[in-house]
Amino acid sequence: MFSSQLKPRCFGIVQKSIQSQRIPQRSLIETRRFISDYIEQQEKKGRPLSPHVTAYRFPVVAISSVTNRITGVALTGGLYGIGALALVGLDVPSFMQYIGTSSIGPMAKFVVTFPLIYHYFGAVRHTYWDLQPESLLNKEVEMSSYILFGASGAVSVIASVL
Amino acid sequence: ARQGVRAFSSAGDLKLEKKPERIKHFKIYRYNPDKGGKPTMVDFPVNLNECGPMVLDALIKIKNEQDSTLTFRRSCREGICGSCSMNIDGSNTLACLAHIDDKPTTTIYPLPHMHIVKDLVPDMNNFYEQYKSIKPWLQRKDANPDGKETLQSKEDRAKLDGMYECILCACCSAACPSYWWNTEKYLGPAVLQQAFRWIDDSRDQATKERLEQLDDTFKLFRCHTIMNCSKTCPKHLNPGKAIAKIKSKVIAMH
Repeated sequence: MFSSQLKPRCFGIVQKSIQSQRIPQRSLIETRRFISDYIEQQEKKGRPLSPHVTAYRFPVVAISSVTNRITGVALTGGLYGIGALALVGLDVPSFMQYIGTSSIGPMAKFVVTFPLIYHYFGAVRHTYWDLQPESLLNKEVEMSSYILFGASGAVSVIASVL
Repeated sequence: ARQGVRAFSSAGDLKLEKKPERIKHFKIYRYNPDKGGKPTMVDFPVNLNECGPMVLDALIKIKNEQDSTLTFRRSCREGICGSCSMNIDGSNTLACLAHIDDKPTTTIYPLPHMHIVKDLVPDMNNFYEQYKSIKPWLQRKDANPDGKETLQSKEDRAKLDGMYECILCACCSAACPSYWWNTEKYLGPAVLQQAFRWIDDSRDQATKERLEQLDDTFKLFRCHTIMNCSKTCPKHLNPGKAIAKIKSKVIAMH
């Protein structure tokens, strides 16, 4: 009954609606190429990137994660720095002794102990998350971030005044 | 009744009070591709006493009464279609599910680190292509024993709870700093959670291939358990946990 309504007079309208439904389909191989050129294509169209670090309100878990990265970089840099200084002839042990016993001693010690201890406790937390994925719940990870900051801060302070 | 106040203006004995105005300011990100230039933030005052409770209601009210060029995606207005995802007061949610709070100002940005077509409308094509790339359909190698439905126990079906409900709004992926820095190569929490939805589906027979596809430096392992995704999901799902489970399975495969 419906097909009889597709008379020549209406035929043009039917044809047009089929054409307007032509949606570009991509094969899965083309998908990979699409993704790799994506940013280039978007920038060619002049599209701005929406604000990210300036606009996002970072939860404490994210702060603890980026602190883990920063302490990691600091530890690596510090290690290379000490190594480089030793290479050019600085007597590292006595230099450390000199700073450690001076007036800025505790603060300098804190600058070294906090990255060490925070990064270590952070790694423990990460290992626990990897082994027990069921522990990844919003409230629990938020609490763990506060505990991480508090515990590493406390232990670092104690280590730097001892 | 409000329009009728004018009709009673001559009746001096009637004590009709104008409804009090509760003004809140909405600072909204604007970008016009036709004009070009830099994106700006525009302030719109809204009388909350004449507005619905959700941020989407305010956006529609602004578009109707103040600036009809304000452009945003929306459809179901009930948190199921995923169209109106945006960054409201620093977190990614659906505008139709975000209550307007009592603070004097609310700031609205589009989803972070996405290329913007206009105002609050990001380009979602990369996201959709990445979703396609994980083959989000049931893959069977052989026919069912009696040629009918692929059966699944209640316990196996329960494993899909918390993953099948994803509406692909992209709030989580747009909240992930790792996805910001590696948009093209890292799949992002939404797509990875859906990948796990199919990996954990007992009816699917392509589990090994699915896990092997994710086994490289970028697609899965750019996740550093930042957990912004699970915090921001407007449907209260947990993509971070799903990703951790995929990691366990991929490592067990070696």
